Amino acid sequence: MSVAMSETLKNNEYTDDLRYEVFNREFMPHIDSMYNFAFRLTMDEDDANDLVQDTYLKAFRFISSFEQGTNAKAWLFRILKNSFINDYRKKSKEPSKVDYQEVETTYNSEEASDTTYTVDLRADAVQELIGDEVANALNALPVDFRTVIILCDIEGFTYEEMAKILDIPIGTVRSRLHRARNLLKEKLKNYASSMGYDS
Amino acid sequence: MNASLNTPSVTEEAQKQSMKHSCEHHAECMKIIQAILDDEATDAEKDHFRENMEKCIPCIEAYRLEKCIKDSLNFKLEKKPCPQSILNTIISKINS
Repeated sequence: MSVAMSETLKNNEYTDDLRYEVFNREFMPHIDSMYNFAFRLTMDEDDANDLVQDTYLKAFRFISSFEQGTNAKAWLFRILKNSFINDYRKKSKEPSKVDYQEVETTYNSEEASDTTYTVDLRADAVQELIGDEVANALNALPVDFRTVIILCDIEGFTYEEMAKILDIPIGTVRSRLHRARNLLKEKLKNYASSMGYDS
Repeated sequence: MNASLNTPSVTEEAQKQSMKHSCEHHAECMKIIQAILDDEATDAEKDHFRENMEKCIPCIEAYRLEKCIKDSLNFKLEKKPCPQSILNTIISKINS
């Protein structure tokens, strides 16, 4: 039995038993994270349910392309992100109808975005914000910016893992994060201001 | 001599006066601060960060703010469990 197991491990081949074992042991533990990610992408409970379901079924169907011993969470998130782009993105309700390209261009100039650009927001003000306010600020970001913040700050992926999940260079991960965080500070500042916490 | 946290306020004030109130390369510093918080900083970046944290007030405040936002995202946002119905559907479909 153990000889057979180590042989399949070596060739990354999957017996039926191994399929279920890997699925249950490696994939299922991430379902809550996946669900929350799906919900923040789609902003719709039904779409999120469908997206998670589709992703896990795909993951099972294509499990033989999952290299045993590698990062299952990143592999799953990649499938979910691709499914989202292919199947759900057209329907997703974008709160701010900002074209991603437009935002990227605005923040492209190093000078304009970085050296003079600081958001007038204090840590104390952020500390006072409640979950709903932080969530609304996050959800107000264009989906590509929201995504990098979720992957980095909430799900704890490394830049390298994010690059693989999103199919972009690591440099782009860093710059997109930088811009996303500046945007997020803008949104948070709106909440801080409305509560009278701004300086 | 020993710059401990319990240093009396007179010494604290003197120390504060030797601290920088503006940062001439803030864009670079912001990138390093974010790399530090993301646990992706190189050794050189870590050294730069440590120096900054001792004397650059804008950087200290920026670090506090970024950390506060990151913590808020991590701890204040509701994390919903996946509905049981979805779990059941997945399990029944892969077993069929």
